[in-house]
Amino acid sequence: MKKDELDALVICKKCHTLHQKVEIHKDTKALCSYCNTVIYRYTTHLSRNTLALSFTTLILLMVTFLFDIVTININGVYKSLDMASLFIVMFTQGYYLVGIMLIFLIVIFPLTILVSLIFLLILMHHQKAGYTVKRLLILIAKLKHWSMIDIFFISILVSMVKLFAYAQIELGISFFSFIILLILDIIIIKKISFNELWILYENIYLKDENENEKQ
Amino acid sequence: MKNNKLIRCPICEAVNQDSGKAIICRRCEEHIYPEKTVSYNRAIAFLVTAMILYLPANLYPILITKQLGVVHESTILGGIMLLWQSGSYPVAIIILVASVFVPILKFIFIIYLLISTKYNIKSSNMDKHKLFYITEAIGSWSMIDVFVVTILSVLIHFTAVKIIPGAGATAFALMVFFTMLSAHAFDTRLLKK
Repeated sequence: MKKDELDALVICKKCHTLHQKVEIHKDTKALCSYCNTVIYRYTTHLSRNTLALSFTTLILLMVTFLFDIVTININGVYKSLDMASLFIVMFTQGYYLVGIMLIFLIVIFPLTILVSLIFLLILMHHQKAGYTVKRLLILIAKLKHWSMIDIFFISILVSMVKLFAYAQIELGISFFSFIILLILDIIIIKKISFNELWILYENIYLKDENENEKQ
Repeated sequence: MKNNKLIRCPICEAVNQDSGKAIICRRCEEHIYPEKTVSYNRAIAFLVTAMILYLPANLYPILITKQLGVVHESTILGGIMLLWQSGSYPVAIIILVASVFVPILKFIFIIYLLISTKYNIKSSNMDKHKLFYITEAIGSWSMIDVFVVTILSVLIHFTAVKIIPGAGATAFALMVFFTMLSAHAFDTRLLKK
C-alpha cells in the first residue's frame, strides 16, 4: 500500500476499528462508527489557540507550584501545604523513592509537556528546526500518560475531607489556580488532537521533501 | 476493509502496515512495536513484579501516626475501614475503588488479555481493544492513596502529632508504576488473530 493510501485511513484509539477519512467542516469532529469516540477533528487556528492555552497553563502552573494550596488550623497552630514543603518533608524523612516519583509525576512531567508544547508551536510558527519539533512531539506523546496533576488534585480533596473533623481548613491562592489549571489541562490534552499537530508538522516540514522526491 | 494488516502508531496515530515483526513508524520513525514475543514477555515480567509488590503494599502500614509517643500503624484496608466507621462514606468508597479495586481489576484485565492471545477465547477483537484502553486509562488513578498519605504527612507534622508514610506507601507506588509499565508493554497486535 502506498503512503497516500495509508494517510487516508484512520484507526480508532479505543476499539481499533479502521476508518476511511472523510472531509469534515471547520470546527467539527469525526466519530468512530462503532464506539462513538472522537477520532479526528478539524480545528481552525489550531497552533495559535494551543499556544495561547499552553502559555496560560504554564503561568497557572507556576502560581500553583509557588503559593500555598491549603492551610490548616489546629487549635491556633497553622500549617500550610505547598509543593516545596511536600518534597522537603518527603526527603528529610528519608522517603527518597516516593519523593523522586512525586517530583517526576507532579512537577517535571507536566512542566516538560507544557514547555515543549510551547517551544514546538513557536518553532512551527516560524517553520524552523523540523527535527527538534518531531522529537518534542514524540516526547509529549510518551509523557502524556505519566502526568498526574489531576490525580494529585483529587488527592488534595480527599485529604481535606479526612482532616475536616480535626482542623479548620483555609484554601490558598494555589487551590483556585489549580482548578483553572486542571480545566485548561483537560482542554489541551483531550480536545487538541495530537494527530492534527502531526498533520500540521507534515504539511510544514515534509512538503519540500516530497516535492524534491518527485522531481 | 481489511483490518488485520494495519496498525495504529501509539505515538503519532499514523496508520502503519503490520509486517509481523518489529516496526518503525513511517511518520514519527520511532520503534513503536518490538518483536511480539519480546513485548509479551515484557508484559508478563512487569505484571509479576507488580503482583509481588501488591503483597507488601497491603500488608505493611501505609500510614504511621505518632501521637504523643504512641505509634499507630494503619494499612490500606485498615484506613478504609476507619473512614467507613467515622462516617465519611464517599471518601471511603473513592479510596476503596482507587487503591483496592483498580489494581486488582488491572491484574485481571492484563492476565485475561495475555491469556486470550494464546488461547482462543470467544470475544470480539473490539471488546478486547476496549478492555485494553480501559486498562491503560484507569492505571494512574491508584496513585491517589500514595498522594493522600504524602499530603497528610506534610500537613500533620507537629511535635505532638506526626503522620509518616509507611513502607507500604513505597511498595504501593512501585506497584502502580509496574502495572502501568506492564500495560504499556502489552502489544495490541497480539489481540488480532
